[in-house]
Amino acid sequence: MAGLKDDAQWIVLMGFVVSFSLFFIAIVLNQSTVIGQTTAEAVLEFPKNDIRGVRDVIIQSEFLDDGGIFLNKTNVHNDIRILSLSRQNSVVNISSTPPTAGNPYTTINIHYNNGVTVYNEIWRSE
Amino acid sequence: MTGKNYRISCTAGVSESIGFLLIFTIVIAGIGLVTLYGYPMLLKQQTSADEQIMQKNMIVLQNDLKSLAYKTVPYKETSLKIGGGALMVYNSSYTPASSTIKIYDQNNIVYVNVFQSGDLLYSSDSAGTDISLQNGAVVKRQHAEQGSVMLAEPRWFYDSETKTMVINFVNLTSTGIMAKTGVGTVQMVLGEARFQKTDTPPLATPVYLEYTPDPVQDYSIAWNNYFTNPSLGMTLLSGTPGTGTMLKYQLPDTTTLVIKQYEVNIKSL
Repeated sequence: MAGLKDDAQWIVLMGFVVSFSLFFIAIVLNQSTVIGQTTAEAVLEFPKNDIRGVRDVIIQSEFLDDGGIFLNKTNVHNDIRILSLSRQNSVVNISSTPPTAGNPYTTINIHYNNGVTVYNEIWRSE
Repeated sequence: MTGKNYRISCTAGVSESIGFLLIFTIVIAGIGLVTLYGYPMLLKQQTSADEQIMQKNMIVLQNDLKSLAYKTVPYKETSLKIGGGALMVYNSSYTPASSTIKIYDQNNIVYVNVFQSGDLLYSSDSAGTDISLQNGAVVKRQHAEQGSVMLAEPRWFYDSETKTMVINFVNLTSTGIMAKTGVGTVQMVLGEARFQKTDTPPLATPVYLEYTPDPVQDYSIAWNNYFTNPSLGMTLLSGTPGTGTMLKYQLPDTTTLVIKQYEVNIKSL
């Protein structure tokens, strides 16, 4: 036991460092399986184009006649409701007030709900 | 003189045989700890990782199903690794059904008579759990226990402004019963889609929904939690969740009932 040298204790220390870091990496890897997909999906889920499309058609259809068979505002609104339900899986509701003597603006209430996103707008022809 | 003293005290120690014995004991104790505690812990980690990966896979498959049903994408394909168990398809005509749903109104006019969703079931033999993709939802249960939990919800919704209840059924079909372990590819094709909208004059409120679980594969606690959560707002009228009996619910004040049925065909696993 003559001439003890403790210069090589760093080998033991490195052993500890490596094993502990492996342990932490294992924990991090284990946690990472759950995250990722769902967050990305949530962004894609936002129906921006659906809302824009529906809103556009609703505002255009507001200024149709309500008399004839074709280009009939009530029919077009019903079509919008049915088509959004069957194609986009969304409930759309439209109500509008035409201009009066006191209020010269047309007002449209737009309601859109597809179970994930709810969009409400009061549009005025200003 | 002090230097000599120091050197003597530093080299003084136990005999070589006792030193060997000490080191040997430490080594054996280390090996013993790793085999008795470390290895089982590692296996447990592996099992739970398999299960978590499968949970994530089922949610990915549910997203595929959503794309097929709600975004009218015609075809979807996902590769996944199925570890620690098997993935199986039970199509909607398989008996016993994983669950059946009936919807009717006050005047006993039936809107949906017996809806069977079929399911895509992952059964883990190492963790003892079942994860099922059924009717657009991902649900999970333990083999030996009553409880179940919904990991991802289907997209049913109630719009309180227009008092519209939108119910989306997803119906899984396949040419037969298929099962897979290891790496597989799930191919899904959108089949027939049906759409039914009923407004108040023919529809007599309140509207009732009956959910009958399979007594062996009972996911009724998960579905009960989903049906009665505030955003959907149904109330349980009769039946006890978790006992395998029929549950009867009353829908919230509904003036428009929309029922959509999508058929998704699983081509292969």
